[in-house]
Amino acid sequence: MAASISIPRVEPAKAPRSLLRLIPGVLLLVVVGYAGKFLERFLNTYAKTHHWTFPNIEYVLWAILIGLVISNLFGVGEIFQPGIATYEFWLKLGIVLLGSRFVLADIRKLGGISLALVVVEISLSLLFMHALGRAFKLTPKLTSLLAVGSSICGVSAIIAAQGAIEADDEDSTFAISAILALGALALFAFPFIGHSLHLSDTVFGLWAGLGVDNTAEATATGALYSDAAGKVAVLAKTARNAMIGFVVLAYAIYWAKRGQAAGVTNKAAFLWRKFPKFVLGFLVISLLVSFHTFSKDQVTSLANLSRWAFLLTFAGVGLRTNIRQMSKQGLRPFVVGALGEILIAGLTFGLVLGANRIWGL
Amino acid sequence: MTREGSVNRSWNFGLDTWAVVAAFLLALAVRLGLLAKIPW
Repeated sequence: MAASISIPRVEPAKAPRSLLRLIPGVLLLVVVGYAGKFLERFLNTYAKTHHWTFPNIEYVLWAILIGLVISNLFGVGEIFQPGIATYEFWLKLGIVLLGSRFVLADIRKLGGISLALVVVEISLSLLFMHALGRAFKLTPKLTSLLAVGSSICGVSAIIAAQGAIEADDEDSTFAISAILALGALALFAFPFIGHSLHLSDTVFGLWAGLGVDNTAEATATGALYSDAAGKVAVLAKTARNAMIGFVVLAYAIYWAKRGQAAGVTNKAAFLWRKFPKFVLGFLVISLLVSFHTFSKDQVTSLANLSRWAFLLTFAGVGLRTNIRQMSKQGLRPFVVGALGEILIAGLTFGLVLGANRIWGL
Repeated sequence: MTREGSVNRSWNFGLDTWAVVAAFLLALAVRLGLLAKIPW
């Protein structure tokens, strides 16, 4: 597996030494993230004082761009890798704390709509990806991985499915590279389309949460559009993530029936193991806020802590994206992924517009 | 990466759990006033 694809491999630290290994990379995330935030503020102030017309570029984009420049022009040393891989931890910490920005009524409305759209999106995405995989003669397991990755939640789903269906490491590397490369493209394409069509924050957030595969990229895509869109994108993506266990279980049973994977004996335990626990954390924090466990200032503090955690995530998104390595991973899986993504982006866009018309988002 | 049951399981379960634990510790610290108002 190419090291620079940087599949997150954060394992619970077993010793203080493991924690020490994280420090350089985490510091790099802090520096890159804060540089993004500093640049946004500095350029805005500078443009205002000098009466320049300068577009407001969000800290999200700066953090990602600085990360991309460092990783692609200078390279990131081995010493930083373990710490950079913690971006997934910051992402999930940020999502749990983001629960403080939703009261239960929001979750019931938007989460319910998201779940309904997610079910349609997943079913159609799986069908699309399998048809494309067959048309391009990809191996069935690679097709399964690409289908899971593009219909649910990118890298986490592929890693979860890889174990369950006993796919080759090479297939998962292909699938992960394709999903990461397409996520990087979506980061820039979605906000551009959203602004061109003057989409509302809620509509764009739902679209980003449903259409962008990897959770980090979906969060960043939403945040690139606006703070409010970022919030909705995380909620929609969380609803999508919650479905991971069911889809992976279906694939595990399918491949086990064909004698190409071990059977699943305890389905409930399997579902619990695959269920993303941060979704529960998100709901509990939101429940606590809804019942006024925190004062207004404390809720603001929790929301700001969530923003800081996301800032480190966005820095990680740029730092772990190595364009040269991705381009080496072969064209066919990428083409299948790209075609599938375009179809899914179009499909989810249609679904969100339909939902907007029905429920007036 | 390895098969189900080793790295995959610990990665998935461990990371999520640590994130939830860290979030609740932070929320508790905020609730008890141990953390001053967090700016953005």
